[in-house]
Amino acid sequence: MGAQKAVKTVKLLCIGMLALPFLTGCWDRLEIEDRAVVLGISVDAEKPEAIAEEDETTHKADAPAVAGKEMVRVAVQIALPGRIPLGPGEGGGGATNAQRTVWVIDVVGHSIDDAVMNLQQQLSSRLFFGHLRVIVVSEEVAKKGISNINDYFHRNSEVRRMAWLLIAKGSAKALMTAAPQLERVPTLYLMSTLDEAIGMGKFPIDFIGMFWSRSAKKGQEGFLPYVELKKHQNVEIKGIAYFRSDQMVGKSDPIGIGVYMVVKGINPAGYRVLIQIPGTNKEVTTAATHRKSKIDVAIKNGRPVFVVTAAIEINFEEKISGDLLINDMKTIKTIERLQSRQTEQAVEDFIKQTQRVGSDIFGFGEYVRAKKPAYWNRNIKTTEKWQNMYKDVSVEVHLDVRIRRIGMKSQ
Amino acid sequence: MEQTRQVTVTQAAAVLVSTIIGVGVLPLPLFAVRAADSGAPLVTFFGMLIAMVGLLLITWLGMRFPDRNIVQYSEAIIGRWLAWIGSGCIIVFFAVLTSLTAREFGEVVVTSVLKTTPVEVTVIVMLVLAAISSRNGITTFAYIHMFYMPLLIGPAILIVALSLKNADILNLEPIWGNERKDMLGGTVTIAALCQGSFILTMVIPAMRRPKKAMRASFWGMLIAGGLYVTIVIATVAVFGAEETKKLLWPTLELAKATSLPANVLERLDAAFLAVWVTAVFSTLLSSYFLTNQAIAFLFRLKDHRMFSIFLLPFVFLMAMFPKNIVQMYGIIMQVGRVGLVLTIAYPGLLLLVAILRKKRGKPLGSSKSG
Repeated sequence: MGAQKAVKTVKLLCIGMLALPFLTGCWDRLEIEDRAVVLGISVDAEKPEAIAEEDETTHKADAPAVAGKEMVRVAVQIALPGRIPLGPGEGGGGATNAQRTVWVIDVVGHSIDDAVMNLQQQLSSRLFFGHLRVIVVSEEVAKKGISNINDYFHRNSEVRRMAWLLIAKGSAKALMTAAPQLERVPTLYLMSTLDEAIGMGKFPIDFIGMFWSRSAKKGQEGFLPYVELKKHQNVEIKGIAYFRSDQMVGKSDPIGIGVYMVVKGINPAGYRVLIQIPGTNKEVTTAATHRKSKIDVAIKNGRPVFVVTAAIEINFEEKISGDLLINDMKTIKTIERLQSRQTEQAVEDFIKQTQRVGSDIFGFGEYVRAKKPAYWNRNIKTTEKWQNMYKDVSVEVHLDVRIRRIGMKSQ
Repeated sequence: MEQTRQVTVTQAAAVLVSTIIGVGVLPLPLFAVRAADSGAPLVTFFGMLIAMVGLLLITWLGMRFPDRNIVQYSEAIIGRWLAWIGSGCIIVFFAVLTSLTAREFGEVVVTSVLKTTPVEVTVIVMLVLAAISSRNGITTFAYIHMFYMPLLIGPAILIVALSLKNADILNLEPIWGNERKDMLGGTVTIAALCQGSFILTMVIPAMRRPKKAMRASFWGMLIAGGLYVTIVIATVAVFGAEETKKLLWPTLELAKATSLPANVLERLDAAFLAVWVTAVFSTLLSSYFLTNQAIAFLFRLKDHRMFSIFLLPFVFLMAMFPKNIVQMYGIIMQVGRVGLVLTIAYPGLLLLVAILRKKRGKPLGSSKSG
């Protein structure tokens, strides 16, 4: 009897022990309200004098590594737990104010990590980058080179490759504090600006991960969206900021984006162009709907020669002057011819523009590497050599434009 | 140690597949692009061929001695003392391999997911799991692998398929690579990732029809090797060779860059890691089981369970030996290359001597397994 009771006790104890592993804590337990969820980060350039604003977190103020060096101002946009409306019902339609859903804090530092460390020193909750969607870098910083920014975000395991890296005209921090009317969370607005642009054919897919991949390639350079904050707190995609290695070396007009997408044959197409019929003052606009392109490379006289063959389908969009009849094939042919010539010119101009600074954002070099490996291995082999060679390779552009539809009007 | 012959060909193939697919998938594309940038898939393919040779030798030997494993038949082939040295080396090697697998697992977890959890804890949890599971007999062992295999293959294929929408075929050209820096070294390193397939020597004696072992090893290698090559193709096609060189665990990064359609899940790395834990567990289980069984057979023990816990502290201490992640990968590569001598050259030698001395095990059926 006694023995049986003892067995029973032991059994009970064993069952009790089974619960033990579930009662212990977890090292990585972090309550959601103890987390400072960073939605966006901006990086601006600062003069060395800004060191006065900084406390000695990662280094002494007179350390030779930092004394007299350029600094950065990093602003983060932190989501306020509980304040972000989850559905359309919450929050109501009242004045949308950036200050209500997010908290923007800025600090100075010598590098991104230094600034983040300075920030963490001032913040009770742990900074969490898992939901980081947009990183905005000012043009000034980008022109000095963004290798530090690339390295920090590449190394960090929380940052997703699908985040956006943007180059801002003027202050980058302004984009963090902006409060657009459409979206209740400012960075989400920024992000949707770009996501929608992809859907409308206004920008190619260019997440930070893709920028890294392109920059790393020996025969290609990276490019990023170049944006500007307009007066109504809206954001304009102003063009392509193109890089050579880690340094921004130039920017295009918005139409340059369309040109890039023509060369690469990226769909959907979304750019409209204005065409003047020569000899008259008749002007029309057309909208591209579909693109296709092919890049061929051949070696002639010891130099690579590229041929870009692209086809664009367009719809007739509007007449600016009224006395042009478009319901006859001759006019349509004229417009097609004019637009192909005009676009060819634009493509050649944009390629020349990038050639001047040796920034091959189209990846022509990759075609040489992939299709003519023997030539590549003998003559190029490194990023630097290709950057130099790109400056004077010749690119031929052939465009074929076809008008498909003319809208709901018959003439 | 029941020697009932219950393992089927499918199970044997499953053991091979889930053993070969392990921690190695994470740095695999990195090893491959380091060897020959855009020629990475080709390097992987060659690596698989070398691994296949090793597996063929083991299978051949196993079929020649259908009711014995390498510890037993090596004694018959080259004599007791030489065989002792060989088996000893195998035991030590697989113990080291187990510890390095556990450590590599710990490093990945501590870097990417559980940042404040001590690496010792993740390593020891994994090892204890393997130690407890390795107390089972070979039949249960085969069932465990059989159970997990679809869980490894399915999600891996899903991730690869989804990631291909970002792929650029230009990244894979030229297929033999631009700068073949260390083609041989890369091939050998990748072949070394498949050393777990040595476990087949323990499985064959328990197979219902050892004559079909060749079929199991062919299919096992085809599935695992095919998956390896596919992963490398996908990674290089999406990132390009140069970007892949910059990533410590390109396959994990691939999962991170891949999203389910309609943004149900915007990044698949968490899902991938969950699957990968199972993959590591099955690899760890195999190498632990192999070490454990080899010791038992070497000392002619009736019960292999005794050593499963006894081994644990040694393996754990070895796992904690590398000082940092860079040193760890250095050691893994070195050990892997040395290991190839053991897992390919040693069985090759045994087979040669066996043929020369006309040694052959009892054909099945004459002995009623026991």
